[in-house]
Amino acid sequence: MNKPGQQASISTHGRDPVDDRELVAAAQRGDRDAFKTLFERYHRRAYALALGVVRHPDDALDVVQEAFIKAHKYLDKFEGNASFYTWLYRIVMNLAIDHLRKHRRVKPVELDETRIEPDSDEPLLPRILGGNPGQALMDKQIRSRIDQALDQLSENHRSVLVMRELEGLSYEEMAQAMSCSKGTIMSRLFHARRNMQKQLLDLLDHPPADLADDVADAPDPANDETPKPARAARSQSR
Amino acid sequence: MSRPSTPSDLELMAHADGEHDDPELAARFDGDADARAKLDAIQQLGELVRGHLELSADDVHDAKFAAMWRRIDGQLVAPATGLWSRVSAWFDRYRSHVITGAISAGAVAALALVLRPGTTDLAAHAIDVRPVAQRAAPEIDSLETPGGSSTVISLADDDSNAAVIWVTPDESDAEEI
Repeated sequence: MNKPGQQASISTHGRDPVDDRELVAAAQRGDRDAFKTLFERYHRRAYALALGVVRHPDDALDVVQEAFIKAHKYLDKFEGNASFYTWLYRIVMNLAIDHLRKHRRVKPVELDETRIEPDSDEPLLPRILGGNPGQALMDKQIRSRIDQALDQLSENHRSVLVMRELEGLSYEEMAQAMSCSKGTIMSRLFHARRNMQKQLLDLLDHPPADLADDVADAPDPANDETPKPARAARSQSR
Repeated sequence: MSRPSTPSDLELMAHADGEHDDPELAARFDGDADARAKLDAIQQLGELVRGHLELSADDVHDAKFAAMWRRIDGQLVAPATGLWSRVSAWFDRYRSHVITGAISAGAVAALALVLRPGTTDLAAHAIDVRPVAQRAAPEIDSLETPGGSSTVISLADDDSNAAVIWVTPDESDAEEI
């Protein structure tokens, strides 16, 4: 894989997985295999983030591709203060938001985000599906409804929700990423969650039959051994 | 200022997100069944969104990402390692800045060259404003005139001539007058 003149690549065979920092250092010296390993480690996670924001699979693929090219181009600027993925997700997030701006067809209409009225007539709901989210995600209909609910959110609300739920960013980190105040982030997140709950509300009253059965048969959460729905490696993050 | 008896949903959300590190607030949420239910709902919603997006990423066929890597690999530029390649890479990255800076510096240098003091040939272009008599020596003639003497001072300029006739009466005539 290496081009002539490049240094020998770091091998990950037969020993412990190589630390991201070693891979980055090798990639900075021109080792393409090291960069490919980083790609293989994070491409799906980066895709999930991009998809959550841009909502179209092909657009999300474009964003991820561009993000890795950009990450490699500016690899010498990466100083290792944060993890490689933290650095990568910022690139993905910026490209995804840029993509939305460039391809925006309708100007988003949002509420006045400087006003936070959590005690208004629309508080957070005390429950969603009542069952195990892992089991709920096995249902295509529910996943389709989640897709629709995400589509209904404004770009800003969706971006904040995805950053929080997928990456676990703090309010301060999200405020920096979106160049706004923490108060604005709180407002966006509150309304995003509230709107998602509203969109999924009818699933409370009329859950799909399979899910209703599952919920009825659901084991005690304390002994729940249901496998987690996704395989993305969140443990390697941040 | 006393805290309201019922924590707001915003406080509850911030608590759920780990933004509050307030044991008193946590205790109040623990003692409130509705608040606990809302905290569970926030957590569930997060799991649904995260799980759905991660499953969506898992659904993409490996071949698509393999093709993506080939496209990425085709566009990667090897990082600079030698001194010259580092300089080249630096120039590539800041090419526009370097060119703009060079043009600006050139313009300033040219302006400074034109305007620098003591080098412009002012004598060649300046208008000589000295009196005509100072620019060229006057031609002086003497005339004998009845009752006195006269001096004719001729001043020649580029565009015209001028003459001054100075008459000096004789002393004797002056006395007679």
